[in-house]
Amino acid sequence: MGSRQIVEKSLTLLRSLPRISLNNIRDNPGSKKTQKRGRGQHGGDKHGSGNKGSGQRQNFMRLGYETGNNPFYLRVPQEHYYRGHHHRRQYPPLSLLTLQRIIDTNRVDVTVPIDIASIVKTGFYSFFPDQKHFGINLIDEGVDIFEAKINIEVQWASEQVIAAIERNGGVITTAYYDPHSLFLLRNPKKFFETGQAIPRRMIPPPDAIEYYTSAENRGYLADPDQISEARLKLAQKYGYKLPVIENDPKYNMLCERKDPRQIFYGLEPGWVVNLKDECILKPKDEELKRFYSL
Amino acid sequence: MASALINALKKIYISPIVTIRAYSTATNTLPAASNNFVEVNKKEWKFPPTYTKPREVWIENLDSIEEKKLGLCELHPLVYATVPRIDIIHRNVIWQRKYRWVSWAHTKTRAEVRGGGKKPWPQKGLGRARHGSIRSPLFRGGGVAHGPRSGKTHFFMLPFHLRIYGLTSTLSAKLAQDDLHIVKDLDLPSDEPDYLSDLIESRNWGPSVLIVDDSDLAPRNITAASDALPHVNIMPVYGLNVYSMLKHDTLVLTLSAAEKIEERILHHLHSITNDKQGEFKLSQV
Repeated sequence: MGSRQIVEKSLTLLRSLPRISLNNIRDNPGSKKTQKRGRGQHGGDKHGSGNKGSGQRQNFMRLGYETGNNPFYLRVPQEHYYRGHHHRRQYPPLSLLTLQRIIDTNRVDVTVPIDIASIVKTGFYSFFPDQKHFGINLIDEGVDIFEAKINIEVQWASEQVIAAIERNGGVITTAYYDPHSLFLLRNPKKFFETGQAIPRRMIPPPDAIEYYTSAENRGYLADPDQISEARLKLAQKYGYKLPVIENDPKYNMLCERKDPRQIFYGLEPGWVVNLKDECILKPKDEELKRFYSL
Repeated sequence: MASALINALKKIYISPIVTIRAYSTATNTLPAASNNFVEVNKKEWKFPPTYTKPREVWIENLDSIEEKKLGLCELHPLVYATVPRIDIIHRNVIWQRKYRWVSWAHTKTRAEVRGGGKKPWPQKGLGRARHGSIRSPLFRGGGVAHGPRSGKTHFFMLPFHLRIYGLTSTLSAKLAQDDLHIVKDLDLPSDEPDYLSDLIESRNWGPSVLIVDDSDLAPRNITAASDALPHVNIMPVYGLNVYSMLKHDTLVLTLSAAEKIEERILHHLHSITNDKQGEFKLSQV
């Protein structure tokens, strides 16, 4: 409601008007436009389709066809550096600006670790695992104004983004999820309703191993000692003082990580979440335990 | 007599001079017994109103024909005092009429009309127009071209927020026009229809009244009394809809129903509704 008190004015006006009923309401004038195909001597002349040929008959030519010319897509030679691009992993971007907005509008709980499931739940990020989307690429837009202290797990992050988060005393991890796990993280409720046991997270494919074991990328398979060294190096490179997270009151939260085989925080592979009875069923059979512990 | 006059006034386009009461639908008479002290049910909302004040309305009774004011309650302005968008109300009404409408009008095409297999006369040599069938649309008794075919559904889904704003607009309009009343409960002393119609007459309601309760089972007396009155209907909260509210002149909510409506609508107004705004598909997995 603006300063002109539009709501009050309109409600006050309604008091002096007849009772609103089924026979005195209408849509806004001009809000509906019906498509008309003209008839008659001149109105229905060509019905807007032009004169003669494929235009009039509306037989639209196939995409790329140039009425007999050697078409462009055959005229230029193939360039192989795009070969297999549709099989490559894609990481749809999420900017630090949006992340800050999510945090400022209190759509995500920063007192617990943030992962892709909690980001998706805010409604500000969507991705499609069936279209080769493998999770969040946290990009550096809004890097200068980012000032939240968080423990976040994304799937791809650049050096500047890592620096921006660690400068504020936060922690970032890059972690790989296979497409099936990402389906689960995108809509956990839908999966729990099926009554299946939570599967194990798969290990990364060979070409992704290098990224996720490197301490520079804060990979989830990297050596923790090397990560602390890389944190210090990055702080020196960008010239900020690295906050000591050991002295932080939120140290326990900042240290929390998922197991490389774990998909959801707090839930282990093999467990079944029963939404109806609101309980968790855990495997007891030795063989199952052995299977899920690997 | 007075009620008939005022109802007639509401139906014809005459604007009587109105007193502007911005934040209250209260009438001038205070409850006599309470000695100028009225208890207002202050509410702790999950989403308190930020810029506007809550509306205060009287809680009335149904256990006597003459009206007693049992107290005041607060209603959330986002639900009961928003912009009364007539166009959104209209779209809701159109939607409610259409989504369940299946048109059974049917005509036969030239293929379905009996006969007409033989060429009526030769193509050439008679000086007559050329025809291939006596059931062509040009012939009397022939098939119909582009006629209605039965089983045509007019189903569509109105966008989620238009449905929500339809409810808030209608509730706000009803409250602004003094056609919304809050009662404490639905307990009547008798199950006589005359009692209920006298009550409606004396309180200047209606004549048609929609009563909304929080529970599925209304008390026996009011069920029996309203059963004989076709223009007085009872509805649970989850059945509340724009069409029924407009079809009835007066809307009577129990206190718990008003709070339940408020809670549900506020919940939807403040939650992420991406999943509800998707296109409606019949066979979605």
